[in-house]
Amino acid sequence: MIEVKDLKKEYIEEETTTQALQGVTFLIDKGEFVSIMGPSGSGKSTLLHILSFLDRPTGGSYKFQGKSIDEMTDKELARVRNKDMGFVFQSFNLLSRLTVYDNIEIPLLYSDILPNKREALIEEAVRSVGLEEKLYTEAGKLSGGQKQRVAIARALVTDPNVIFADEPTGNLDSGSGLQVMEILESLNNKGRTVILVTHETETAEFANRIIKIKDGMIESDKAIIANRHHHGNLK
Amino acid sequence: MLFRDAFKTSTRSLTYGKMRSILTMLGIVIGIASVIILMSIGQSAQDLILSQVKSIGSNLIIIVPGGSGNGRFSAPASSQGIVITSLIQRDVDALKREPSIQSAVPEVRGQADAVYENNNVTVSYEGSTAELFPVRNFTVGQGYPFTKGDVNSANHVAVIGLDLAKTLFGSFVDPVNKTIRLKNISFRVVGVLAKGGTGAFGVDQGNIVIVPITIAQTQLLGISYFSDITIQANALYDVSFVKSRIGFTLEQNHSIVDSNKDDFTIRTQEDILSLLGNITSILTLFLAAIASISLVVGGIGIMNIMLVSVTERTREIGLRKAVGATDGDILQQFLIESILLTFVGGIIGIAIGAGIVGLVYFILSTFFSSISWVFAFPISAVILGLAVSGIAGIVFGIYPARKAGKKNPIDALRYE
Repeated sequence: MIEVKDLKKEYIEEETTTQALQGVTFLIDKGEFVSIMGPSGSGKSTLLHILSFLDRPTGGSYKFQGKSIDEMTDKELARVRNKDMGFVFQSFNLLSRLTVYDNIEIPLLYSDILPNKREALIEEAVRSVGLEEKLYTEAGKLSGGQKQRVAIARALVTDPNVIFADEPTGNLDSGSGLQVMEILESLNNKGRTVILVTHETETAEFANRIIKIKDGMIESDKAIIANRHHHGNLK
Repeated sequence: MLFRDAFKTSTRSLTYGKMRSILTMLGIVIGIASVIILMSIGQSAQDLILSQVKSIGSNLIIIVPGGSGNGRFSAPASSQGIVITSLIQRDVDALKREPSIQSAVPEVRGQADAVYENNNVTVSYEGSTAELFPVRNFTVGQGYPFTKGDVNSANHVAVIGLDLAKTLFGSFVDPVNKTIRLKNISFRVVGVLAKGGTGAFGVDQGNIVIVPITIAQTQLLGISYFSDITIQANALYDVSFVKSRIGFTLEQNHSIVDSNKDDFTIRTQEDILSLLGNITSILTLFLAAIASISLVVGGIGIMNIMLVSVTERTREIGLRKAVGATDGDILQQFLIESILLTFVGGIIGIAIGAGIVGLVYFILSTFFSSISWVFAFPISAVILGLAVSGIAGIVFGIYPARKAGKKNPIDALRYE
């Protein structure tokens, strides 16, 4: 599903060149739950941005569902982001004055899904994160954990194949963080690919594979077996 | 993105900051209202001037001394203050022999102090024949107009305007048969015009003194030529034909072979209407151009606020792009917002402009009833107002909208 070969990314600022990724190679199959771990400045966020089509690499190749990013226009990338990818951010990125319903609707506004089919999809998404009773509450009035659950519902509403989560528990208390991770875990159990970026080991261990990045290169890429149901809490 | 969704998203964004939206709109509201008011006043003035010219009758032709060159609307030399003596009695006699002409009325004009006892007013006086009264629709209310006999005998008689009669004689003295003095020459008032105020061509007929042309030429002015000749065309003939006959007759009289060298200018009502129409249209456009400066200022205000809005909503733009919005979707959303701001501002501006025009009309018709002010609210101004406000939304919104559309999603999402 995701095929990365010798992926490079360099940033040129004035006369300084920074190598954020220095030749990263791996494969992620459909249905995997992968954590990308690394210290601050290791290149993990850069990698996630490229994998999620928010940025382009400066070297190497990246194929998503068999199609190379180099062959796609910005418009096509936007379409894939809308149709096949869901995003969960550390800072939720909800529009606080809109209701939960309206926030979840945002990806649908840019899709081919007709307006009369949207309501059912939004209700289904909000049900999957257990926030049915908050559907018409302003997003700004929710707690941190609830906000992140709304963000997950927004990521799910277009029924994407992959969910990218960038430090999804970073702004949450341990209870809420656990809840969010359990939702992501259940989504993975239902067949969705989940790619998570985190610097917290406990959070990373929800995955069945951990890729560790350091100085823009892969330090380790290991599968984790049977530790999923042993998380008491996070942090 | 469906237009419906883009529209809904934009209106929602605008209603979340109601006060800001209203204040942003204010510039456009004032701009459009100014354009509407000035265009409406310009149109009203145009209608008023043209209706006054029309009121003199379509079969009137005016001959003024001096050629106007080749230009149809060039000013004749006489109107530039140069004394030209080309129109004389012989011309009037020849014109009267022309069957297509019903009346030929010579006129001379001057200014002097009109004196009655201790009252003294500076007035315009006009010397003419008795035919002036029917030809120019001057109705005499009190007394009678002077006669052909008065003109031939050079009698010292005068018909005065209604407002002048009130100023000189007050409300309780009958001016008829009283004696007034112009340049120390006595004139017996034989009649008072029925209507005061401003007449055709802006002539203050309320303050005029009309005397026989014979007296005006010999004793008041000391000249033998005329200031102009008013021709009333025979109704059986076409005005343009009469105009050509006048030209032919005067050229013969003045021994002119080349019509480009005419020492007179013939103006029909149509010529005057066309000339005045051009002048007043330019004036209206000029007024609208001045008002549109405020529109530009309002538009720049919108651009400014939209730029602030784009910066404030950077994270929102980042999010929308992350979940699938294209550059075009974001551009569309911000452009709709700026067009909505200017368009709604335009509609409010039109309504306020119409209200103020109505108020001005009410004040004018109530307190200046002597001016037959015409209420004009040109539909073209409304269409122009709507079009300009819509275009202003595009022009002043496109830069901020493009800036929003071009934002990099990662930078936008990281924006604090």
